[in-house]
Amino acid sequence: MRTTIRAALAGLVTSTCMLSAAYAEDIKGGLLLPYSGVYAALGQDIDDAFALGLETFGADSGATFEIVREDDEVKPPVGLAKTKKLILQDEVDVMVGVVSSGVLGAIRDTVDGAGVPLIVANAGNDEATGEACSPYITRISFSNSQINRPMGQWLVDQGVKKVFTIAPDYAAGRQMIDAFTTAFTAAGGEVVDQEWPAFQKTQDFGPYLANAKASGADAVYVFFAGGEAISFVKQYDSFGLKAEMPLYGSGFLTSQLYVEAEGPAAEGVITALHYVPTLDNPENAAFVEAFKAKTGRIPSEYAVQGYDSARALVEAVKAGATDRETLAAALPKVAVTGPRGELRIDPATNNIVQPIHVYETVAGPEGLTQKVLATLPAEADPVNGCAMPAATN
Amino acid sequence: MFTHSPLRLTTLAILAAGSLAYAFVAGFYGMEILAEIAILAILVIALDLVAGFGGMVSLCHGALLGVGAYAFTVAANDAGLTALPAMLLAVALTSALSFLIGAVCARSTGIYFIMATLAFGQMAYSFVFQSPLFGGDDGLSGAPRPDLSAVGIDLTDSRAFAVYAILLVAFAYAVAAATLRSGLGRSLVGLHHNEKRLRALGLTVWRAKATAFAISGALAGLAGCLAAQHTQFISPGLLSWTVSGEALVVVILGGLGTLVGPLLGAILFVVLKHEISAITPYWHAIVGVILIAVVMSRAKGVFGFIEARWEARKAQPLVKEAKADA
Amino acid sequence: MTTDIGFWVLQTLNALQLSMLLFLLSVGLTVIFGLMHFVNLAHGSLYAFGAYIAATLAGTLGYWGGFLLAPLAVAALGAVLYFTLIRSQRRAGPMAQVLITFGLIFVAVDATRLVWGDLPIGIAVPELFEGQLALLGVEYPIYRLFIIALGLAVLGVLTLILTRTQIGAMIRAGVDNDQMAACLGINVERMFFLVFVVGCALAGLAGAVAAPVLSVTPDMGLQILIPTLIVIVIGGLGSLKGAVAGSLIFGFVQTFGAVILPTLSPVLIYALLAAVLVTRPQGLLPAKG
Repeated sequence: MRTTIRAALAGLVTSTCMLSAAYAEDIKGGLLLPYSGVYAALGQDIDDAFALGLETFGADSGATFEIVREDDEVKPPVGLAKTKKLILQDEVDVMVGVVSSGVLGAIRDTVDGAGVPLIVANAGNDEATGEACSPYITRISFSNSQINRPMGQWLVDQGVKKVFTIAPDYAAGRQMIDAFTTAFTAAGGEVVDQEWPAFQKTQDFGPYLANAKASGADAVYVFFAGGEAISFVKQYDSFGLKAEMPLYGSGFLTSQLYVEAEGPAAEGVITALHYVPTLDNPENAAFVEAFKAKTGRIPSEYAVQGYDSARALVEAVKAGATDRETLAAALPKVAVTGPRGELRIDPATNNIVQPIHVYETVAGPEGLTQKVLATLPAEADPVNGCAMPAATN
Repeated sequence: MFTHSPLRLTTLAILAAGSLAYAFVAGFYGMEILAEIAILAILVIALDLVAGFGGMVSLCHGALLGVGAYAFTVAANDAGLTALPAMLLAVALTSALSFLIGAVCARSTGIYFIMATLAFGQMAYSFVFQSPLFGGDDGLSGAPRPDLSAVGIDLTDSRAFAVYAILLVAFAYAVAAATLRSGLGRSLVGLHHNEKRLRALGLTVWRAKATAFAISGALAGLAGCLAAQHTQFISPGLLSWTVSGEALVVVILGGLGTLVGPLLGAILFVVLKHEISAITPYWHAIVGVILIAVVMSRAKGVFGFIEARWEARKAQPLVKEAKADA
Repeated sequence: MTTDIGFWVLQTLNALQLSMLLFLLSVGLTVIFGLMHFVNLAHGSLYAFGAYIAATLAGTLGYWGGFLLAPLAVAALGAVLYFTLIRSQRRAGPMAQVLITFGLIFVAVDATRLVWGDLPIGIAVPELFEGQLALLGVEYPIYRLFIIALGLAVLGVLTLILTRTQIGAMIRAGVDNDQMAACLGINVERMFFLVFVVGCALAGLAGAVAAPVLSVTPDMGLQILIPTLIVIVIGGLGSLKGAVAGSLIFGFVQTFGAVILPTLSPVLIYALLAAVLVTRPQGLLPAKG
């Protein structure tokens, strides 16, 4: 009798131990993305690929992942309110997402103060891994200057000596262009003139294109994204500028997401980006195939960012992380070879270090596609005033 | 003329008691929502004051809120003021700006007034969006919350902040009600009904309108300060004309020209928004349909509907008596 | 650069192109207001709808199929709106109208997202108007010249209709005093309907014309709304001449502001609007004195 009770007790003790062990490996993640507003398509790409990444890699981590989704509507106050909900009410172990730099700026102090690790899956403002860096914020996407800086030297190497730049007048536009022009002038190039059309208010770029045409530059270097990118590329072509002044830029201009809408106008445009779906490596081939099977679309750079965010989360869990504190410590140590090539996190800033691919948009058998011209080696961003404090939870 | 009927007083008492009680039992997210409601409530009180009573339908109140928020944050961050003087300065500045807008727009009426205020709102938006001093599209962080530790209150605590926000709503309501009961308030209502007559009676029309607009603007600026203190981060989106449009929607949903109704509208709008957006990212369409239905129904908003029902019930016994007499 | 004559020619053409696009949009809105005293904030959404229809049909019927059918589709939508919402709200005052049409914008944006998705769509310029034309010493896209020509043609036709036909006389009478016009035996109801539907068709036409130049996005209707409102308020609500003047002022201020005073340009047009409203509260060329 006594032994039976003891055996039953022992069994109970073991089973509760197992229960708590299983509980510890339940990771609750909060996905903060725009599901409405101007960036809804980007949010969807990241979301789909994040789910795909968890399906692909999550199984062999032994943990289960529960994901709470919140729509930030691309509005900073909404993003902040949703962040507080995820942290305080849902009590997530980790947050993933953030497309707009404005939203990232709004939630930065809250995330940092609460000690919740955040995997940034898009927002590229330099400050997030510069003066506003945090041990809890790990960026798996890109930084604005990272993408444009290598193009400075590369363009000079191609014989381009004088450029005219155009970008929307807001923080990201200025960072993208400034990173390029700094590198370009350091390499011996000359910036003839610059135009900064009002952000999100300019649909007709005719006036700026006329100025570019008259400037006598060898080429035009631009940053535009989304609907503005489509309008710009089409109007650039319609003014007949493409023939006399080649168009270069940061690769969001002719992103996989928008290139179809741009049509033949995008042919021959040369830009740089951290990912294009035509990269030739086995990891990318598997990713493209799986993403196509899941969604019927070709993955964009936004998709790969979502995919790699899931991968980084799984890797951190595999390394033994179970809660906010250990995840925050493990995430910056993640290093993987994925569709983009070799990725690692710079411990000085928690920003990703990755190769940059220069590509030309060309006509392929199934519509427009990307021809990679060069892969420029990975380079860590300068620390930009980041004094990374130790994580204190 | 604005009066406090028993129904209005009862509603106010219920709202005050309910929100305070909720502030003490709510979860973390509930307190966020409470603060959000409070900010919107102050803004719609301000808007109802000019639109509901003075007929000045403004599409720049969102921008005024934004001006208040930016003035507060810049005064606190760059001029080194503590939170309370910064608030006073921000409210005074917003009020002065509103006086100017009110004076300039005083000659316009109807759709021209709406468009003129829209123009000023968009000017402020473009200016803030463009100016590097205000952080442009990336916004500004670091707005402080008032330090009330001297009286033992810690406003960094969500619960204390929610109560503080509710008290500010009560203050804003008191200011609006006092304005409406004053001579100025009576002139304002008179102007709405017959501007020519009041002009003939010797009222300086533009000054009355501009003063009312200045008081309304001061309240909008106060809402802006509260918004900046709540999120401790501000961005140009606060000044967007759609914020003004939404505020107008809330005033109409709640009951234009009742001052109490817009408070109900603010609660309904914020709660509905959160509930519907949790279900579908297409919540804007649902809000749009509700808005169209409310306006088409010709009820004076939710509170207008309640008031009409209340009056009908009170009137009924009289009707019966009348029948008995006959 | 600014001493180069080509620069001025090019920018003038750009300004004209923008003006004509805005004219197509604002003329319908302003005449509807002049006649029916109805403020339709959802006019921009009709333009977006036209652009989406044109972009969708371009794939199967080619550009010209979309160009012809988009205005008809938007007119049909306008007719539906007229009978469900507009007619009953005609006398409800500006605030009810502003709010109902504001609600319509919300519905329209989400409806386009549901049907066409979040990704921007783009269509090619029709083959007929591909390339550039040498004009006064500059190379200018032919399609943009087509927009200018189309705007002028619509202006010409509308002027003829309004000044030389009976229906035009009826509309002018209605703008002046609709009750008097009704007393004189004009079927005002039918005229309102006609004008509303034609205004919608013009908005749809503007959308179809803009689609190859701009990208077609769910929020394009919201983006164009403010410029359109500025145009009709500066010009004076209700008048054809006002719409022309307002469009030209907006187009030129916007274009030359952007290249000559880039730092001031976003505020410039609003400052101008405020100045007009202060000095001429009814706009520059109002329909009624």
